[in-house]
Amino acid sequence: MKNRLKDLRAERNWTQADLAQQVSVSRQTINAIEKGKFDPSLPTAFRLAKLFDLTIEEIFQDDE
Amino acid sequence: METHNQTGGYQEAFKATGQLMLWTLAWVATLALAKFGPIYLWDSQPAASWAAVALNLVVGVGWIVSHARYLRGIDELQRKINQDALAVTLGVGWVSAFAYVVADAADLISYDAGIGGFATLLAVVYMIATVVGHLRYR
Repeated sequence: MKNRLKDLRAERNWTQADLAQQVSVSRQTINAIEKGKFDPSLPTAFRLAKLFDLTIEEIFQDDE
Repeated sequence: METHNQTGGYQEAFKATGQLMLWTLAWVATLALAKFGPIYLWDSQPAASWAAVALNLVVGVGWIVSHARYLRGIDELQRKINQDALAVTLGVGWVSAFAYVVADAADLISYDAGIGGFATLLAVVYMIATVVGHLRYR
């Protein structure tokens, strides 16, 4: 699953650790999500959407 | 270890990890007591041996519950890595055990495999699968 997490984070000058802390996951999890290696759980996706004030669809796009 | 769950943060994850370690140590200690107690402590008295086995079983149940709590308490990526590793370990254990059983029944194996060897195999597979999982999601 593709996502805009890295760009959104960069726009705010946040480190992966900063973002991880705000959505209560590990930095490794943020790293894996950004690289498209790991799809977040629905609660985490909602927390990310709320944090960036976007919808989940505006952050994550299906590969197909 | 950098882990925390979806709602509680690091403290809950560390607490769950610490409890799992304590339950693991307790289970190993009661296993050793049940194994070596009859030899070194109570001179093969059946009542004492049964009590040691029962204690080991009770602590074993606590260990299982603690492991489930640990999986619920850790970060979601760590949980994914753990569950993948457990799936591989279960598969390897299941397949290797039945392969050994049929090979032994067909008199293809000249030695008896002990439960200790099987447990060691599972532990090694779990550790390797966990490391591979961490490398995969690095």
